Amino acid sequence: MRRVTPDTIAMVDLAVCDRCGLCLPLCPPEAIHLELNVLTVDRAGCTGCEKCVGPCPVGALAMVAYA
Amino acid sequence: MPDVDVLVVGAGPAGAVAAWHAKQAAPGLDVVVLERDRAIGAPVRCAEGVGDAGLREFANPDGADWVSRRITDVIFQAPDDTEVVLANCGLGWILDRTRFDAFLAAQAAAEGATVLVGAEATAMARNGDQRWHVRVKERGRDDVYRARVVIGADGVETMVGRWAGLDTRVPARDMESCAQYVLQGIDFNPDAIYLQFSNAIAPGGYAWIFPKGVGVANVGLGVVALKSDGRNARQYLDDWVTRRFPGGTRTGYTVGGVIVHTTIKKTYADGVLVAGDAAHMINPLSGGGITNAMKAGRLAGKTAAAAICAGDTSERRLAAYHHAWMELLGDDHLKYYRIKQALEGVDDASFNKLARSVNNIAPGKRTIGRVFTHALIRHPQLIPVAARFFV
Repeated sequence: MRRVTPDTIAMVDLAVCDRCGLCLPLCPPEAIHLELNVLTVDRAGCTGCEKCVGPCPVGALAMVAYA
Repeated sequence: MPDVDVLVVGAGPAGAVAAWHAKQAAPGLDVVVLERDRAIGAPVRCAEGVGDAGLREFANPDGADWVSRRITDVIFQAPDDTEVVLANCGLGWILDRTRFDAFLAAQAAAEGATVLVGAEATAMARNGDQRWHVRVKERGRDDVYRARVVIGADGVETMVGRWAGLDTRVPARDMESCAQYVLQGIDFNPDAIYLQFSNAIAPGGYAWIFPKGVGVANVGLGVVALKSDGRNARQYLDDWVTRRFPGGTRTGYTVGGVIVHTTIKKTYADGVLVAGDAAHMINPLSGGGITNAMKAGRLAGKTAAAAICAGDTSERRLAAYHHAWMELLGDDHLKYYRIKQALEGVDDASFNKLARSVNNIAPGKRTIGRVFTHALIRHPQLIPVAARFFV
């Protein structure tokens, strides 16, 4: 199945992120990873649904232009 | 390539108790517990409250160094700060999770389990040999552990479940975003936990004060982002704390997610069991997870040990764990979840009225049951809450 490229995708500000892991189970395509204390959003996996942005307790996730 | 019988991922209450009980059930098994962080129990992402009866199934809190405070009272606060005091309504404890988690890990080690800190599982796959091959990063080195059963006790992130193909995702409405300070030099009753319900203070959740000592408490709140006015959990907390405790000194700070959902549909797969927060085994009404995690860990450890001894770690056999959990607590959580949904419809004005009328009951006669009955008579809009509970 080919994915439609979203206009915006989620990006994490690692200076703000507390590594709590709350956003991982919220991501429908499971595109957020937490490994070796670094949170990453998989550019190829993020569908731009924004479900991770509001619940972040410290506001470390934001939508940015895909390009 | 270390070969083990049971590999437990995560050394919180679920993982430590799973290892402890697996080893107790079958002392001959090799049981290894991996903790990603460099210290068990830290950082604390918890309000640290636990009921007496559940705790005592696993450890004796009397005089224990992992207890911060003994609690006898509950104080509910309405949105307008009207207090409903339930004095001597039960016994509870505020733990020191850093010490408590280390204590549980030591129990597992005393039974003969191996506990590794700073060891992170980063991937796992099933090969043709009826074992899970788990990639583990420790001190910059990659190792592969072969395990007959992997117990996923890896908390909110729940990667083991994901790797095993289980659906561990959480709908946004069932995720509480929490923030908490340790506040020093504040004035409150140190024998009581305080719970404040208000859509303005903590929409979709509640705010809490859990005493760690006289003048010291975990002060935090949980919000459901879908109901937020745009502020995140930390901003809600800052606003509440600034109003309630302007003189308090913030000596600690934590954030995290509490899954107020119901147990995932399937908590097992071939050679895999998932326990605690990782399996959404949290009381969705209270957000309490410590005792739930320990009880699930005990079931998981015993089930894994028995399965390995019988030479059958297939999901058919491991399904017994899921059924035992649902009977023990999982089905209750479904009921609590319905109550939670009903309470979401109650607005701040109704909570204020309710608090004032409940206070007409004499303090000595104020039990949870009486308060509930009273609430139904005075506020028939709450009847659906009760009705759903018994459905």
